[in-house]
Amino acid sequence: MTNKPFSVTVGTVTRELPTIQVGEMGRVPLVELIGDVEFTSAVADALRPLLPPETEVMLTVVTNSLPLTHALSERTGVPYVVVRKKRRTYMRDPLIQEVPSMTLGVNETLWLDGRHASSLKGKRVTIVVDVVASGGTVEAMQRLVDRAGGQLVGCVAAFRQGEPKMPVRYLQELPKMI
Amino acid sequence: MKTYSVQVGDVRRELPVVEVAPGVSVALFNMLGDTDVTEAAGRELAARLPADIDTLVTPEVKAVPLAHVISRYSGKPYIVIRKTQKPYMVEPVVREVVSITTGKPQILVLDGFDVDKIRGKKVAIVDDVVSSGGTLRSLTGIIEEVGGTVAAVVAVFTEGDERPEVLSLGHLPLFK
Repeated sequence: MTNKPFSVTVGTVTRELPTIQVGEMGRVPLVELIGDVEFTSAVADALRPLLPPETEVMLTVVTNSLPLTHALSERTGVPYVVVRKKRRTYMRDPLIQEVPSMTLGVNETLWLDGRHASSLKGKRVTIVVDVVASGGTVEAMQRLVDRAGGQLVGCVAAFRQGEPKMPVRYLQELPKMI
Repeated sequence: MKTYSVQVGDVRRELPVVEVAPGVSVALFNMLGDTDVTEAAGRELAARLPADIDTLVTPEVKAVPLAHVISRYSGKPYIVIRKTQKPYMVEPVVREVVSITTGKPQILVLDGFDVDKIRGKKVAIVDDVVSSGGTLRSLTGIIEEVGGTVAAVVAVFTEGDERPEVLSLGHLPLFK
């Protein structure tokens, strides 16, 4: 079995991505921005021009996309709201949204605190994530924007690693399998 | 609504005071999505970080952007300890902890990939609020289990009891 490293370059930063074995199908390259300030900063610099200029609020989801979204917010002054994957005790009237199941038997639920939902109301919202794969999560986030009364103006991702139905602005495509 | 005023660096915020148990209220500090507070806190805490720290360790989720900012200012790498085990983790180290805020047992998971970044290193734990210290004890347990030393704990606020061992920017009282 070959275990060829897979590398990506964003701006002047190159990273060798770890790959994980999936069944007998092959290996999936894995992007990790958590813990890597230099790579996160390079990706945020490159992604900034793709953010629709009319964006008033960014919507992201825990956990891997948090440093990237913070870095974009710090560069643009655009605030962000975070969708959780678990109910938190402090949430008031949360919006609850199921993610369309992609893997058999694995269901995921998104939670948006009512206070955060109200900050999307009447606002132009862009979804920000590190990687878009099948698009199930960002579609569920789109539903949350609709239900909160926001107007979705775009979806940006650092990497696309699959075929999402929703139009996504991204920096680079990654193979699903190598 | 009752609020409690806090100062983080050059940023002031009015925190909502909410009841979490009969007769007990807390000032709710959620910095996730508050970029100005995160930047101000990260800058202040990076300046207070002992020089001999090798690595920052933070628990998922709320303090992740804070750890990113402290890392950016200090140049020290950061590691996130997860609350769920991921299929891609290699030989993860798992600990159970009972959360004070949720009352439910939860797990803390260190990816085996990150063990070498802690073994033999001086670690600073980074969190938003240190309250009962339960998470802190479990994080310390994991870090020591893989051969690291907890040399500092940094947090934006301590809550409840005074904790002189924590490098913090302020203290949140319990409202009874």
